[in-house]
Amino acid sequence: MHLLKAQKIYKSFGNKFNRTEVLKGIDFTIDQGEFVTIMGPSGSGKTTLLNVLSSIDQASHGTITIDGHIITNMKSKKLAEFRKHHLGFIFQEYNLLDTLTVKENILLPLSIQKVSKQQANERFDLAAKELGIYDQRNKYPSEISGGQKQRTSAARAFIHQPSIIFADEPTGALDSKAASSLLNKMVEMNEKHEATILMVTHDPVAASYSDRVVLLKDGEVYSQLYKGDEDQQLFFKDIVKTQGVLGGVQHER
Amino acid sequence: MNVNQLIYRNLKNNLKNYYLYVFALIFSISIYFAFVTLQYDASMDPATGTIKGQAAVRAGTIVLILIVGVFLIYANNLFIKRRSNEIALFQLIGMTKGKVFRLLTIENLILYLVSLAIGIGVGFSISKLMVMIVYKLTDVTDIATMHFSTEALSQTLIVFGVIYLFIMLVNSLFIKKENILSLFTIQQSAEIKVKKLSIIQVLLGLLGIGLIIAGYVVSQQLFSGNFTTVNELFSAMGFILMAVIFGTYLFYKGSVTFVLQLIRKSHKGYLSINQVLSLSSVMFRMKSNALLLTIITTVSALAIGLLSLSYISYYSAEKQAENFVINDFSLVNEESYKQFTSILEENNIDYQVNQIEVFNVELDASQIMDFNFEEDSSVTMNPSELQLPIISDESIEGIDVDENHFLLSGYSDFLQRFMSFKNSGKATIKTENDEFSMKFLGLNREYYVSSYFTNGGGMPIAIVDEEKYQQLKVDLDPELQHRSQDAGAITFRGVDVSERDIEKANELFLTEEIDRWAGNDSQQNMARNQKMNMGLIMFIVGFLGLTFLVTSGCILYFKQMDESEIEKPSYTILRKLGFTQRDLIKGIQLKQSFNFGIPLFVGLLHSYFAVQSGWFFFGTEVWTPMLIVMSLYAVLYSLFGLLSVLYYKKIIQEAL
Repeated sequence: MHLLKAQKIYKSFGNKFNRTEVLKGIDFTIDQGEFVTIMGPSGSGKTTLLNVLSSIDQASHGTITIDGHIITNMKSKKLAEFRKHHLGFIFQEYNLLDTLTVKENILLPLSIQKVSKQQANERFDLAAKELGIYDQRNKYPSEISGGQKQRTSAARAFIHQPSIIFADEPTGALDSKAASSLLNKMVEMNEKHEATILMVTHDPVAASYSDRVVLLKDGEVYSQLYKGDEDQQLFFKDIVKTQGVLGGVQHER
Repeated sequence: MNVNQLIYRNLKNNLKNYYLYVFALIFSISIYFAFVTLQYDASMDPATGTIKGQAAVRAGTIVLILIVGVFLIYANNLFIKRRSNEIALFQLIGMTKGKVFRLLTIENLILYLVSLAIGIGVGFSISKLMVMIVYKLTDVTDIATMHFSTEALSQTLIVFGVIYLFIMLVNSLFIKKENILSLFTIQQSAEIKVKKLSIIQVLLGLLGIGLIIAGYVVSQQLFSGNFTTVNELFSAMGFILMAVIFGTYLFYKGSVTFVLQLIRKSHKGYLSINQVLSLSSVMFRMKSNALLLTIITTVSALAIGLLSLSYISYYSAEKQAENFVINDFSLVNEESYKQFTSILEENNIDYQVNQIEVFNVELDASQIMDFNFEEDSSVTMNPSELQLPIISDESIEGIDVDENHFLLSGYSDFLQRFMSFKNSGKATIKTENDEFSMKFLGLNREYYVSSYFTNGGGMPIAIVDEEKYQQLKVDLDPELQHRSQDAGAITFRGVDVSERDIEKANELFLTEEIDRWAGNDSQQNMARNQKMNMGLIMFIVGFLGLTFLVTSGCILYFKQMDESEIEKPSYTILRKLGFTQRDLIKGIQLKQSFNFGIPLFVGLLHSYFAVQSGWFFFGTEVWTPMLIVMSLYAVLYSLFGLLSVLYYKKIIQEAL
């Protein structure tokens, strides 16, 4: 069962005379409960793809279906409604509101849905404890570490049990220890709660935590790697090797 | 791109962002020019003019310069900080500091010259309107003429030239002082650190509210008799000022945060979008603007208070004249009465006369009144030896007092502050050789004789039975009677004429100089004088208040512009999370109602208590004039809140 299905996605910037094609017809699916990573060199269009898939940006052509909803022809107001219920986000620069405490930040997505206070608190306790930030719940973002901020961000993405979570370079601003801790938590959420995750990264270590890696190059899908039964170490080597080829091709004249 | 193009581009960009600044600049120049034109207007000439108020207008222009000058310098500081990135960039690509400064100077010069041209044009065209308003307010029936005053022009050019030079000086110091790196970080350093509420803050917050309340409480007791010596009165006033101003500061510094935190706590972390955008933002950002908000609140309160008081005085002019003069004309001696009535007859004006004989007695009122200045040695009044004018109940229709009873009449709120009478009791009326114990029936509001007889309206008048009146009259104490009279009873004569003759009668009253006798008065004349004085003061205070309102509104708006830039990333997050623009704007509306509403509310509250503490010195009616002034101020002020919401709308639209 495909949770997300993207067909012939094109995206171009600029005007009629000076047009840059960023995405050139990408076909792409994600299954329920899958943890997928998009990789690729700078300028390959990975962030654009994520933005288009997560409805923040509009595709020039193509259709995207998430959980049975075709989002490519929705009006902006409906899209906001859709994001509210079906999507979760984790960003590189944390994107927490610095005037809200950790708990308030995490509960933000629930406040637009009609969730009772009691239920919201239960869900918060669960998510915050699983991500190890329960003790920090009354602090402000300026008072906690980067890793804790990113886990707060992750808790906010998970709290309303969205259909799919989009993570844009979630480990980009973290040191390796905080990064692996975050990724382990994400894997845990993925396995335990069958949360579907789509992550963009250029870090092969981070990518090796996922089930499948999609490599982009110049706006097209270059190759896909499945983890299958391999352990993480092996999968990491595979990724690096493929990435090497990708890079090599790039510098070949 | 050469420098000229750069200047042009910058101007174009800035105009879009700072249209309100340009508007405020043009507004200030227009008002200033119009004011100065008014000052040089022929009608303001102290010797020949119809309105004697040049000095007041001149004082007004000086205050105007102060307000406008401070505003322009403050706004310039805000803007140069906003543009520090740009300035740093210019230096980074190799422009010298001198060149950057020249760029700013030329840019500002163009802005000022254009604003001056427009402002003077507008000022000239509204100067006639202003003269007309002054005429209307002061009841002058001249026709306003319009003429361009070169003196006003040169004065305006000089004043704004000096302000411009000063601002350029500030800018050059700023550019000289800062290096490239610090310029790049200025905007970030302006951001506030969000921290948890500390105990000290809670205490300061409580102290702030406590101080304001203490100030309010003392202000209401100020004239109720608890402060009996002049020294005590002044120290009480000093305390009120200190407590309220300092309390206001602490209120912004701590109380707002504290109260909002309490509201927030009660939600246990589960905040709605409206609360996210309003509560959490206001509670952290208002603190950093505490000083600015205190100044704005205090000066607004001052402006509203003064305007209310002068309007109360203006509004009460007719009522007060009625209380003081009673009839259309009041005459206090035989001679002037004969002269005036014969003049009226000559001119075929019908009139009615109301005659009341009055003399003074001494009253021992110690059992029926509470005198509030008992312990003050500077006040010589003694409730057991109260001098009162007395009249017979025959003189007044509809009042009949029994023998051995008496009634007091003619009481004002002002009087009531200093001495309050009980509802009944016994008092003794003393004549030269005798004493009569009488029963007190109470105090009425109505006035029956002109203020000449009642110590300038400061005393009530006693009404007794006709028989008793005659009895007292025989034995009156000559020392208590009016000095101008030969120690006997005198007669108050009120002359009424019909509505259509009043103008003419008043003119005759003035041309024949009937008022050369002290105590003779014309009601219309008195009201008119009061209106003229108060009208002019009201006009000046009103326009100064308006200018302050516009400038302080602009400053709050600019602050909100900055805040919206700082919060833009938050809007991006919220929109990504699935909040619609509509959701966000609703929250912003709430936030702005706090940001503009709290200073407005506090300012109104301050001025309310200020007016309540002393309005009775100024007139007879408090609610209508005060509410009119306050609601007008509130409406104009809210406009800036609305404008800022529109600006936020734009920012939110761009956020995703």
